[in-house]
Amino acid sequence: MSDRITVEELAELMKKAAGITVAPEELRQQQESGFDAFGLDSLGLLGIVGELENRYGTPMPPDAEKSKSPRQFLALVNSALLAGA
Amino acid sequence: MSAPHPRRAAVTGIGVVAPNGNSTEAFWKATSEGVVVLDRITREGCEHLPLRVAGQIRDFDPPAAIEERYLVQTDRFTHFAMAAADLALEDAGLSRSDTDADPFSVGVVTAAGSGGGEFGQRELQQLWGKGSRFVGPYQSIAWFYAASTGQISIRRGLKGPCGVVASDEAGGLDALAHAARAVRRGTDVMVAGATEAPLAPYSMVCQLGYEELSTVAEPDRAYRPFTTAACGFVPAEGGAMVVVEAETSARERGVPVRATLAGHAATFTGASRWEQSREGLAQAIRVALDEAGCAPEEIDVVFADALGVPEADRAEALAIADALGPHGTRVPVTAPKTAVGRACGAAPLLDVAAAVLAMEHGVIPPTPNVFDICHDLDLVTARARATEMRTALVLSRGLMGSNAALVLRRGAADAS
Repeated sequence: MSDRITVEELAELMKKAAGITVAPEELRQQQESGFDAFGLDSLGLLGIVGELENRYGTPMPPDAEKSKSPRQFLALVNSALLAGA
Repeated sequence: MSAPHPRRAAVTGIGVVAPNGNSTEAFWKATSEGVVVLDRITREGCEHLPLRVAGQIRDFDPPAAIEERYLVQTDRFTHFAMAAADLALEDAGLSRSDTDADPFSVGVVTAAGSGGGEFGQRELQQLWGKGSRFVGPYQSIAWFYAASTGQISIRRGLKGPCGVVASDEAGGLDALAHAARAVRRGTDVMVAGATEAPLAPYSMVCQLGYEELSTVAEPDRAYRPFTTAACGFVPAEGGAMVVVEAETSARERGVPVRATLAGHAATFTGASRWEQSREGLAQAIRVALDEAGCAPEEIDVVFADALGVPEADRAEALAIADALGPHGTRVPVTAPKTAVGRACGAAPLLDVAAAVLAMEHGVIPPTPNVFDICHDLDLVTARARATEMRTALVLSRGLMGSNAALVLRRGAADAS
């Protein structure tokens, strides 16, 4: 398991936690877009945060679930993983 | 109350997802032909329970009907609700672009009595099996009574007045009355109804304490109301959504008024107090007739609650006689739910759908598996009965003590 969460892993989590199908490439190109543009609501993002915490065994920053965009989210969770490593 | 309302509430669309059909057409064909679909419960984790027979929906494919992002955050009862709402809106000729054009003019109201038991059970198993960190956030919304209203409105972008009625089995009729009031207050269209999914292990265990529940294992003997063999009721899943629309709106859109919601009333007489339900149900019928400006003799067919418990059946037969007088023993009475079971709050919605379709087709659907009536009722038993109908009365009672009556008039009200 990588010590950084990739766009690929985020796309997989969006599918698993919120039933949203988005290609990693599309997610990469639209990292500045709001999660709502992909159809992801706040409970869906909260589910992704919970899944990551279970996978990596470390708490995510409280603001992660309030992230507006994939770029913001990945920056936050990856900084937490880096700090916890 | 008997003065005509300036904005009459009409039924312009019907969507059914039922054990005997996943479309309104299939439901009506099976209902009018008296096709019995009660069967041994085969759902995983349920086979060992003392409740053996129910009306299960077997060929509903959720991913074919609902987008995945809505499936993951909802229970089976909401899958039924979203699918039935789609069917009802399509039946009413309301496309997505139609409702998008004025989203504030379309609201949603549903009733629910069982909630999202299957979803809830899965998450509770995560809680006790793995820990609180493994419970998904959608648990916070999926298993509540309000889920279907919320998800229908979000999925279809409907922004009109929304509501949820949690008033027992009779709540299905109360939801339609709520929709009719919203229409009278100025909303053009309400998507209204009820669906239930009470056949998951957790939901079934919750029902086992009801002494009214039939535990008879033979499907053709498990639910026989109004007979000396009455041994309780069997549950069912599914339900119906209808489009309740201002008659003026229907006329402007050029769509037919299938029926009008002419009168409704609800009373409460206490949990399992069936003898007392006689008075409560009779009062609900009287007030509903009064609101509809309808004489007892005008009722052409009664869709009975038909609980299948001798004391409750007797109370219902007497309530019909109390409220309708001599007409009560002459009017045709039917209970097509003996073919599919009772779907909690959705049971009266299936009856409303059947009542509208019965009036349109001039056919009273039969009450399968029921012979040798032991009450003074003209029950339509083995075969459908052809007759002209203009007015139908739908009755419903809940195990917790709610009683309700709804009067439906065929077609546009001012045509009578």
